[in-house]
Amino acid sequence: MKKLGLYLLLLPGLLFLTLFMVIPIAMTVLSTFFQEGSFTLEGYLHFLADPYFLKILWTTLQVSVVTTIACILLGFPAAYYISKLGPRKKGVLLALAIFPLLTSSVVRSFSWMIILGKKGLLNSSLLSLGLIEKPLEILYTPSAMMIGLIHLFLPLIIITLVGVMENIDPDLLKAAESLGASKFTAFRQVIVPLSVPGLIIGSILVFVGSLTAYTTPALLGGKQRVISTFLYQNAITLNDWHMASVIATIMIAITFIVIGLMNKLATKLNPKG
Amino acid sequence: MREKNRGLALFTFLIFLFLLGPLLIISVTSFEPGTVLKFPPQGFSLRWYENIFEVEMFMETFKTSMIVSLAGNLLALALGIPAAYALSRFQFKGKSLLNGVFISPVLIPGIVMGFAMLKYVIITYQLPIYAGLLVGHTVLMLPFIIRVIASSLSNFDFAIEEASLSLGAGRLETFFKVVLPNIRSGIIAAVLIAFLESFNNVDISVFMTGPGVSTLPIQMLTYVENYFDPTIAAISVLLMIITAIFMFIIERLMGLSYFTKR
Amino acid sequence: MALLTLENVSVAYENQNILDNFSLNIEKGQLISLLGPSGCGKTTTLRLIAGFLEAKAGRFLFDGKDYTRVPVNKRNFGFVFQSYALFPHLSVFDNVAFGLRLRKVNQAEIDQRVRHILDVVSLNGFEKRFPKELSGGQRQRVAIARALVIQPDLLLFDEPLSNLDANLRVNMRVEIRRIQQELGITTVYVSHDQEECFSISDQVAIMNKGIIEQLDDPATIFKYPRTEFVARFIGFNNFIDFGERTEQDGEIHLTAGSHTFRAAKNPGTANHSGKKGAIRPDDLVVSAEEPADSVRNVLKGKVKVSTFLGRSYQYVVETDLGDFTVNQEMDSPYKAGQPVYLMFPKEKLVLVD
Repeated sequence: MKKLGLYLLLLPGLLFLTLFMVIPIAMTVLSTFFQEGSFTLEGYLHFLADPYFLKILWTTLQVSVVTTIACILLGFPAAYYISKLGPRKKGVLLALAIFPLLTSSVVRSFSWMIILGKKGLLNSSLLSLGLIEKPLEILYTPSAMMIGLIHLFLPLIIITLVGVMENIDPDLLKAAESLGASKFTAFRQVIVPLSVPGLIIGSILVFVGSLTAYTTPALLGGKQRVISTFLYQNAITLNDWHMASVIATIMIAITFIVIGLMNKLATKLNPKG
Repeated sequence: MREKNRGLALFTFLIFLFLLGPLLIISVTSFEPGTVLKFPPQGFSLRWYENIFEVEMFMETFKTSMIVSLAGNLLALALGIPAAYALSRFQFKGKSLLNGVFISPVLIPGIVMGFAMLKYVIITYQLPIYAGLLVGHTVLMLPFIIRVIASSLSNFDFAIEEASLSLGAGRLETFFKVVLPNIRSGIIAAVLIAFLESFNNVDISVFMTGPGVSTLPIQMLTYVENYFDPTIAAISVLLMIITAIFMFIIERLMGLSYFTKR
Repeated sequence: MALLTLENVSVAYENQNILDNFSLNIEKGQLISLLGPSGCGKTTTLRLIAGFLEAKAGRFLFDGKDYTRVPVNKRNFGFVFQSYALFPHLSVFDNVAFGLRLRKVNQAEIDQRVRHILDVVSLNGFEKRFPKELSGGQRQRVAIARALVIQPDLLLFDEPLSNLDANLRVNMRVEIRRIQQELGITTVYVSHDQEECFSISDQVAIMNKGIIEQLDDPATIFKYPRTEFVARFIGFNNFIDFGERTEQDGEIHLTAGSHTFRAAKNPGTANHSGKKGAIRPDDLVVSAEEPADSVRNVLKGKVKVSTFLGRSYQYVVETDLGDFTVNQEMDSPYKAGQPVYLMFPKEKLVLVD
């Protein structure tokens, strides 16, 4: 009787997800291994043999790695600063970090088009200051994508780290200092290792997010394709659904491998925390 | 008493300048009177705000976005509240697996989900595009609804439920009269968060366009590819105002800790 | 000369003075406790000594040197936290070795010193454990070992036992005293637990609202509290306001209402100008029979409330000088309403401010 009630509560949601998510995704993945009714890996072999495809994959990985590292380097100190503030100031800064996160990615990418464009804010100010002679070509390059992606994901890593850091007992820092550590040493030997779990979760979110982001590369990347815009191009423009499915499967695989590896790393680096 | 670290404070200030500056620039340029985006603007005008209401495609897609996000939200609530309740209230075998399944839509890359839905929901199941959009956005919102409501239920003392049962109320009556009122702010916050996720979504919607059907972000994306006038800046400002209001309400309802917890 | 001197220091938090013009001297080798209710400034004083807080005025001298502006990490003081503050990501060994590594001690000496100090706190064999895997008492020992191993010039304890259960608390405080005496290390100990402070300290400073009400050895404080606050804090809850004070025949005569009480001359009365008398509930005698005329210090009253304390009974007795609390062992208790006489020996009356 109780069991029945439980199923009745869970079943509608489960059925809905199965029908509209699990089956479509599973079928998309399965379809890549079959062509005209027989098992094949041709799609993948084709993908791996084509330097153009590989180049896109490589660019995507590069952009994602740089974005992730930049987010960590920029986000970590800022998160530490925020986590040490009093509740009022902390609340305000957190709100200011969350606001861009909730703002449309179209709006955020568009703002960088205004700034980075040929006649954009950056170029016009640099020109008028006489620092450059002709406009820099930033928009529609991987650099623009990276800037846009860092802008997109930096808040995510900041708020994740603040969440972890504010739970670190402030007495630990005092203990380290009383044992002879300078503020910086205490930060390095106490805060940094204890932030590792948050750092890993944050890095997964940023890395997977950059790897699969669509809007920002579509707007800022110009002709430079990344794997997500490439998927869209194959599906909609080129109408090559088999190839699009192969790319989709590769994206899912990379996502899950990254999450799996990072989780392993997290347990390894943090056996007792 | 708190140690002052000027270097770190300056660094953090620059980070926030980087995060918020572009949004500020967009807001300022939306008042540009000319036809080309400029910073600083050459004057002050609201003509591009007026233009939003004159471009029919913006009004059409705004309507579609609203309908899809609101109807999808209701559907996600209908599916999500019972699931969140079951997952918080009961201990049973396979619970963590089910938890994973309900949260999984956020793990699958959005662009992959959009493509898979186009392939199967639109083509194979032959749902109309409008319905496909609705279904896609419901799937998208479900994990947010479940997560926020479950966290709200985790603060709920289920002994109150037993008290209600012992006083003679039925299970369903208890749920509506005792449980629901106590997690009301969680539900409202869930609705707002899910709404923003859906309303801003590009990855799924970009595959679900057809004759006369598209959402506002997709329309903006197309517009930006062809025009560079300040209309998009004006729309952006309106969207940011909505976002700010939503965020303020969410903060009032349950603080900001939802965002910092992972 | 005192090892440690706080000289007219003031500390404010959010514009509120916690310590104002506060002074304290501590002798070398002593264990001094700061005791008082929460908010009395004892933890602030300790954190000031540790260097976690900065005074807005005044000086802090240590071993003849001005330590006021010396940062925490240069003070070489060991601090034991209420929360223990063990580094959760480090093993017991690494927690204890933390301070030695910062001092660039070589590995062989680190091994030897950590092993020795773990011996002292009876934690041999726990080197590889992590804080999460230890009991409360064991964590406490690690915290003490970590503070001791750096051979600190001063050891500071902030309510170190408040997270332990009652039995362990008693064992640990004996341990702390043993280690402190063994190593002869000057120690400042903060607690709100009276028994704990009295049992282990050479000196106790009773603090209230940012000032030291009394600084003495435990026995003196226990017998001769100098202020009403201290008296109440250590269990004197009967007070009499006196009018006139005269000395006759080597006794002090004190009037209250129509009564004249006599007090013996002792450190609790003789050098004291206070006009308030304090008596412990245990020092009052209650009797239903009228005492002989020769008996002094008698008050007539009526039992208002009677409660059973286990070994004794406690009565609240109503008199013309107000209510008095009395503890007395007896077989059959008095009932409420019973007329009684209260008496006390003249030696048991203490005068306070």
